[in-house]
Amino acid sequence: MQYTLQFGQVFPYLPYLIGGAWISLQVAFLAFSGGMAIGLLGAMGKTFGGRFTRGAVGAYVSFFTNTPQLVQIYFLFFALPEAGILLSSYEAVLIGMTLNAGAYLTEIQRAGFISVHRSELEAAETMGMSLFQSVWYVIMPHVVKVLFPPLSNLYIIMTLGTSMAAIFGLEELTGRAFNVNAITFRSIEIFSLTAGLYFLVTVAASLTLTLLGRWLFRVKAKVF
Amino acid sequence: MLTRLAEELPQFLGYYNVMLLLKAALITLALSAVGCSLGLMIGFFIAMVRVTRAKLLVPVRAACIAYVEFFRRIPFLVTLMVVFFVYQVVGRNTTVFTVALTAVCLIATSYTAEIVRSGLESVNVKQWEAAETMNLNLLQTLWWVILPQAWKVILPPAFSFFILFIKDTALASQIGVVELTYAGKVLNNKGFSAVLVFGCVLLLYFIISYPLARFGVWMEKNLGVSKTGKR
Repeated sequence: MQYTLQFGQVFPYLPYLIGGAWISLQVAFLAFSGGMAIGLLGAMGKTFGGRFTRGAVGAYVSFFTNTPQLVQIYFLFFALPEAGILLSSYEAVLIGMTLNAGAYLTEIQRAGFISVHRSELEAAETMGMSLFQSVWYVIMPHVVKVLFPPLSNLYIIMTLGTSMAAIFGLEELTGRAFNVNAITFRSIEIFSLTAGLYFLVTVAASLTLTLLGRWLFRVKAKVF
Repeated sequence: MLTRLAEELPQFLGYYNVMLLLKAALITLALSAVGCSLGLMIGFFIAMVRVTRAKLLVPVRAACIAYVEFFRRIPFLVTLMVVFFVYQVVGRNTTVFTVALTAVCLIATSYTAEIVRSGLESVNVKQWEAAETMNLNLLQTLWWVILPQAWKVILPPAFSFFILFIKDTALASQIGVVELTYAGKVLNNKGFSAVLVFGCVLLLYFIISYPLARFGVWMEKNLGVSKTGKR
């Protein structure tokens, strides 16, 4: 039990770490946006598609939601080169996270689709809207209110999930924490500081999302 | 690439490799199951503290809320690292499994505390008031009145959290716990093709997680307390 906490050695690296947190948020945002697009297509396929499309989307979703994201990225990073596809760590992490998010977002958005009444869709069809038009003008505005809480929740979980990018050498918040740890050897201090930063970053993200939700969609969501 | 896979496959399926993978799969499962069960117990205790109303317990309640909110907002990897290095100071000879288990416990506690709390809150306020009128104390109220109604609400999300965590324990490979992902890395370092090894690991995770997930969905449907009062 002879260990004195010395935060003084770690604090000079604070700006460096905050820069890393910014990268974490960027990765989470990119993966989330990509995942939203995949999820929208997936949910449309699963709700309106034929038997084959439904089966394919179902297989995609159950594969990606039932295996760890880490191993999926491992596969992209270490196994694909054998097939001649060489990804940088940033690309591998981003593609892995996007595909993984796409699976979860398919399920979430499908739940939103189901919450739309059949008669509304029929009305849209009567108006002569195409599938994409009825999704965009009829389903989306209605669904956003139902989906906002689970979506912002997933966004926070994904921000936390970016920490595994550090394992592949991407220098985001956790990656930079590993770097500082290698320089200073104040492990407990540096990692608890990182934990604190993650807390602040996710609280900030939650606050922004809640405000956005209130502004744009009039969703009453709580931060805590 | 395919010929290489075909060449390696018989050797890959040797006794020791298969045993390594199976043992690792068991450790993955144990890490998540034990950690989440312990987490559920402690989480239950925290949720119980949060429904108390005594003035004396205000700091305890505040600590519980702070704990729950904090640990739900830091990544598992970072928790793992903090716990790992704290154990270096506190107890030198702890196994990495214990370290990982503690980290799982810390995270699982905070999440299950929220799940249990929302379960307790799902019971109608009148039931709480009626129990109070009957002069039941907190423990009696929970045991005789609230829990018989709330466990159906608590169990499905708690179970799906456990399944979610089976996948998150893959990160425990980073501190050297020999679970499925670590076994995959070992086999890859032995020279087997990464496609084969990680494909196999992915498949094993799927085999563990998929039936459990189906069971979770089944449970949610069959325990489901419908709000229209059919049950």
